[in-house]
Amino acid sequence: MKALIPVLIGLFAVTAQAATPNEILAGYRAEAAKNNPRYQSSAELGAQLYRHSFGVSAKMPSCSSCHGDDPARGGSHVVTGKAIQPLAPAANAERFSDPAKVEKWFRRNCGEVLGRECSATEKADFITFVMRGR
Amino acid sequence: MNRILVWDWPVRIGHWLLAGAFVLAWLTGDSETWRLVHVWAGGAVVGVVLFRLLWGLVGTRYARFASFVRGPGAVKAYFLGLFRHTLAEQPGHNPAGGWAIVALLSLGLLSGASGWLIYQDIGGEWLEELHETLASTMLAMVIVHVIGVLTGSLAHGENLVRAMFTGMKRGDADAAIAGARPLAVPLLLTCAATCAWWLAR
Repeated sequence: MKALIPVLIGLFAVTAQAATPNEILAGYRAEAAKNNPRYQSSAELGAQLYRHSFGVSAKMPSCSSCHGDDPARGGSHVVTGKAIQPLAPAANAERFSDPAKVEKWFRRNCGEVLGRECSATEKADFITFVMRGR
Repeated sequence: MNRILVWDWPVRIGHWLLAGAFVLAWLTGDSETWRLVHVWAGGAVVGVVLFRLLWGLVGTRYARFASFVRGPGAVKAYFLGLFRHTLAEQPGHNPAGGWAIVALLSLGLLSGASGWLIYQDIGGEWLEELHETLASTMLAMVIVHVIGVLTGSLAHGENLVRAMFTGMKRGDADAAIAGARPLAVPLLLTCAATCAWWLAR
């Protein structure tokens, strides 16, 4: 066990990369542009995605089910009732500051709410909306 | 040789409760829909481990840490014996299995504690990474444990999985434990249920 500790510490030092929301957004935009060179991320489409009721999960049909209608105000987990801090970077500086964390939560939550992975286009629209606010 | 009782009721029920709760927690770990079940299962893991730590001090003969936590020399001798087919039968845990238990109990406690901190919104992403690493290490340890049990079963010609249900193994009559201690089972269940409830608050 003792030998594991420095390995674990090293692992976390490597995995936690700092980035700004704009850098993370730029990454998804660039990826989306590979399929459509004229692609511009849209806060409107992001807002639709955020509030759309996908009907895949009965308890959490949309992103807003847990994150709240206004991403700057936060919400509460529909299953546990625990408070969820705002998604908007303007209201919560921790948001969209770690690319690995962003990717992990898109993977998990898109899988559960949309029943599939989100595309780079959807991720870029989503972040554009969340950065703009409602 | 006779069939004798070596695993008391709290050891057996605690074992399968821990196994079931860990599997449930593992399966629900990536889901928000099952978040409460995940937290309850993790709490039950912690409850069983806490009870087991106490039982390792006051339980029956082979349940006690003093009977199975052995030095590296004993572990080495055990593996050498395993390869040379010169193993003496032993009623309780073998030295390698003893360390697997210590590792599993520690990992259960640490993953539960880190999970609780995350659930209280303390720590942030690095703690989630730590929680996942601990849980993955625990799964790896479970696999090592299962391989060890199967290898041990073959090496000793005794079904060790069945022994964890019945509590019975081959052995001399004077190696048997004094009793099955059914009265400690409610304490075990209370401990598991209390931790499950408390962690999910």
